[in-house]
Amino acid sequence: MSKIIDIKKLRKVYGDGVELVALDDVDLTIEEGEVLSIVGPSGSGKSTLLNMIGLLDTPTSGEIWLKGQNITKATPAERARLRNKELGFIFQFHHLLPEFNAVENVMMPLLIAGVERKEARQRAIDLLEEVGLGDRLNNRPNQLSGGQNQRVAVARALAGHPSIVIGDEPTGNLDTKSSDMIYELLRKLNREMNQTFILVTHDMAMAEKTDRILRLVDGRIVCEMRREGDEFVSHDLCHLD
Amino acid sequence: MFELYAARKHLTARRRQTLLAVGAVALAVTITILFRSLINGFEGTINDIIFQFVPHVTVLPKDGESRIYLYKTLLDAVWTIPGVTAASPALSTAASLSYGGKVENVVLRGVVPDELNKISRIGLDYMVEGDLDSIEIGRRVALDREMAERLDLKLGDTVRASFPDARTLNLVVTGIFDTGGFSTNYAYVSMKTARDFLGEGSVITEVQIKLDDIYRADEVAASLRELGYNAESWQSQSGIVESIQSRRLSNTMIMLLVIIISAFGIANIMNLLVLEKTREIGMMMAMGATSSIIRRIFLIEAGVLGLAGGTAGCLIGYGIAAYVNSLAIALSSGPGFSIYLNFVVDPRDLLIFPLVTLLLSVAAGVYPAHQASKLDPVVALRG
Ligand SMILES: Nc1ncnc2c1ncn2[C@@H]1O[C@H](COP(=O)(O)OP(=O)(O)O)[C@@H](O)[C@H]1O
Ligand SMILES: [Mg+2]
Repeated sequence: MSKIIDIKKLRKVYGDGVELVALDDVDLTIEEGEVLSIVGPSGSGKSTLLNMIGLLDTPTSGEIWLKGQNITKATPAERARLRNKELGFIFQFHHLLPEFNAVENVMMPLLIAGVERKEARQRAIDLLEEVGLGDRLNNRPNQLSGGQNQRVAVARALAGHPSIVIGDEPTGNLDTKSSDMIYELLRKLNREMNQTFILVTHDMAMAEKTDRILRLVDGRIVCEMRREGDEFVSHDLCHLD
Repeated sequence: MFELYAARKHLTARRRQTLLAVGAVALAVTITILFRSLINGFEGTINDIIFQFVPHVTVLPKDGESRIYLYKTLLDAVWTIPGVTAASPALSTAASLSYGGKVENVVLRGVVPDELNKISRIGLDYMVEGDLDSIEIGRRVALDREMAERLDLKLGDTVRASFPDARTLNLVVTGIFDTGGFSTNYAYVSMKTARDFLGEGSVITEVQIKLDDIYRADEVAASLRELGYNAESWQSQSGIVESIQSRRLSNTMIMLLVIIISAFGIANIMNLLVLEKTREIGMMMAMGATSSIIRRIFLIEAGVLGLAGGTAGCLIGYGIAAYVNSLAIALSSGPGFSIYLNFVVDPRDLLIFPLVTLLLSVAAGVYPAHQASKLDPVVALRG
């Protein structure tokens, strides 16, 4: 396994008057093909960390390396290109575009990348079949259930063959049954395509199914647990609740 | 191209808003096109009237003189000017016409009917009774129908013409014309009759000139002034130029106003669109859309709205103009002419307006598109 992401002393401070340290010198290495979950109380900096990794936000200090490239100071255009090529996003809300049907939504990252319409379409159809929506290709978001829309969002996140898929509470809005379905789907895709998944979740049951759990409190990683077989081995003092 | 695709999707999926925006621009353009073509029509009609009734250039006596002497020499000079199509000499004087106890003041004009007809076609198109040529016999008069009615004159009656210092003459009415009010006060007699009336020799008071190009009148008048005569063009005489120019100005103001209003409409629609689409813009950015892609999506949308609105407005405006013209609604008429409600659509407008609305809409879209492109994806996604 090789390092896909290397984060060094990453710091994010918000606010001009009263300073708010959202990330406090975080060091983190993520391996290729890993399924990582990040847990922690609300406001602990989970989204902030994901947005840094996802190149949506820039740190106050520290460095982010992606596939051996220091992307901390990449230009906006380069960041956009990397988001398109290397990253897939799934958010708590599906953020599908309401005017576009399922296939068209999934095609979008490919069209932005300049892939030909026909090819993009075929890829989108394949992915929607993969996520079990082969019979819902031409439905718009308002014609689909919450779980179905989130599955479309998963397909969209995977469309551009990203090396990393980021999920910020991807099942936060779904019932348990839909959540499990989404998680099983992500796991299956991870096995098939060896993509790296970084998931923020409140759902400990789901976290315990991943390869590694990070616990964030007040912008620091306070606990890290790694799966070894069926057991999680704690590397630090952990209070998981 | 992704931008085109996304813009098209937005526009076709939000059909109601799109139609509303296109409709607003189209309405503005329709109104402007109709206004402009109506004014074009009026100008055309006015030019026609000028062409039919008003001499393009009038030559008057030299300063300090009340008559033009040696007028044959003047006429020869006039005919050497290129573009002159008619030159009608006249000896005009004020006169009182009396008949059966009624008296009216007129301008009594000694003319050569053949020459006058080339200026105003009175003897050709506007006679309602009798004719103009018969005044050549002498002691005959042709006058306007309204004047004849005021004096209770009928064809064949004898009217008395008099004026201080003039010889009183009895004139037989041999022609009645109707120009719809353009020459009510004119009474035409032969050149000889006018000279007898005034006791003058071979003199005239004016030469009326027609040109093949009415807009050369000023230039021709100037060259006649160089010969020492007073000469006036229709432009300097009638105040028509000022009225056309002021109409042109108000025309431009209306256009400007209408266009600004529709540009505001587009800017407003684009602002709302960007607000409404904030999360989706954030998502597009997360998917790798650059600021310039986002900007172009909205610029394209604004441009398409403007172009579609402008084109639709032109078609509708043109259609209404053609339809109204086909109804031939008469505003005023006389025996030889009618003024119709006439829209003259300038074909250049049909090209210019879609272009103008395209450019204006894109300009109106610049700020909202810029706002969209500058969104922070993290903030945008949070909504
Ligand atoms: N744009 C921002 N401006 C100011 N404070 C922010 C901003 N984004 C996040 N924060 C603050 O940073 C801290 C971490 O936020 P976040 O990463 O969203 O936490 P989590 O996802 O773990 O709930 C919170 O205290 C939050 O209020
Ligand atoms: Mg969060």
